[in-house]
Amino acid sequence: MSAASVEVSGLSAAYAPGPPALRDVSFSALGGQAVAVLGPNGGGKTTLFRALLGEIAVVSGRITLGGHAAYVPQTERARLDFPVSALDVALMGAYARTRWYRRVSANDRRLAHEALARVGLEDHARKRFGTLSGGQRQRALIARALVQDAGVLLLDEPFAGVDRVSEQAIMEMFDTLRAEGRVLLIATHDIEQARRWDRVLCLRGVQVAYGPPDTTLSTEVLEATYGAEIVVLEDGARAIAVQHHDHAH
Amino acid sequence: MQRALVAVVALGVAGGLLGAWIVLRRLAFFAHAAGSATFPGLVVAGPWGIAPPLAALGAGLAFAGLLSRLTRRAGTSADAATGLLLAAALALGSVLASDVYSSGAGVDRLLFGTLLGVSDRDLWLAGGVAVLAVVASAALARTWLATGFDPSAAPALGVDGARGDRLLLALLAATVVAALPAVGALLVSALLVIPAATARLLSGSLRGLLVAGVGLAVTEGVTGLLLAYHLDLPPGPAIAVVGGALFALVVGTRAIVAPRARETLA
Repeated sequence: MSAASVEVSGLSAAYAPGPPALRDVSFSALGGQAVAVLGPNGGGKTTLFRALLGEIAVVSGRITLGGHAAYVPQTERARLDFPVSALDVALMGAYARTRWYRRVSANDRRLAHEALARVGLEDHARKRFGTLSGGQRQRALIARALVQDAGVLLLDEPFAGVDRVSEQAIMEMFDTLRAEGRVLLIATHDIEQARRWDRVLCLRGVQVAYGPPDTTLSTEVLEATYGAEIVVLEDGARAIAVQHHDHAH
Repeated sequence: MQRALVAVVALGVAGGLLGAWIVLRRLAFFAHAAGSATFPGLVVAGPWGIAPPLAALGAGLAFAGLLSRLTRRAGTSADAATGLLLAAALALGSVLASDVYSSGAGVDRLLFGTLLGVSDRDLWLAGGVAVLAVVASAALARTWLATGFDPSAAPALGVDGARGDRLLLALLAATVVAALPAVGALLVSALLVIPAATARLLSGSLRGLLVAGVGLAVTEGVTGLLLAYHLDLPPGPAIAVVGGALFALVVGTRAIVAPRARETLA
């Protein structure tokens, strides 16, 4: 696929009616880059994603996307008792281009099978989504984004509830997706994991910092992002953000 | 009797299809309450000279409007608000029937349905909602599936979940109104919830759930109706009893079969 890109300039976004939930965000990422989006709960990670998807109002600023954006939610948000298979979930990626009076096309079914094969789930296509492991569910959701032919993947806590083996498999898949020229925006609370990506975007209702992990993830930036009371520094080398899970924004 | 059979088959198709979605979306209590909320409308329909389906629809819309106001503006939880309005509707209907309009024995017919009261209009209404349910299930299945599976991610899939939900609730309201003559205001769940809840136990796929839901709703409706005819009962309770018995049978069978299957595998 052709190289994707994301360019955000002076973005402020709001859930109508109300004041901006996120202000003054400016960053750009080229195809092949992975950007960790760090911030506390309510810091604006999901708001940024919703603005990039065009789901909430952009109060000011500009968003320019090179390629289609797809959202990969946390697996725990999905109803695990729903009677859908991994293939059904992947096929959801074709819904937007399927007219209401038509069935999902044979070509899209082929794409869904290919996407499941790419994420290593071809043997689990007919298994119910709720019976898959956390890592397998995450990969099924990524397959859905691939069926959407997304150049920009917005990944919401992709490693939450995922075991080490699946985490490694997902990391390798991310490398492949980057090699294909896709942009990955990865919302995460894991500061150490953020160091593995090309760029880090720190949000706390407003953009705190953006840049390469080495220079961006300083103690000052992390304290400004999370607040001094919830950052634990061990020997000055490691930082852990401690917080409750609440995904209102 | 033949008219009642035709009506209950059509209602079985609508109830089975919509019921599957209602159970999947955890709207069973709402569906039951929406049926019961039509009771005061039905009581005043005769004295006020309003067509019963219109009066029922008006009462149902008032219920939905008040529910929305209570949950969104007053901050009451959805189940508490539904329970509160359900009790209020039944109380209002009872007072109107007994003390204001002295409806007498007619109340039984409104609450539990009748074999004798299925008019041409009722038949057309039942047939209409059956056709609408089939068309909507085909056209909106993807929307309802994506929205029910994960509402927060549905918009990013190009799915208009809000519009799909409005259409589901509108169809539910129309089906409730159409089902009133056959099963009464108090027992619309007999066609909308019980068959789908049983089908949920039998099938792990959406297609299976829809097919089994329709099959069970029609079977339970026809069996209940025949039972009501021969035992001189109102049809609503008879259909509900048949549905409840089948549900209990499936639950009991699963309780016996599932442990044995596990033992065999072990």
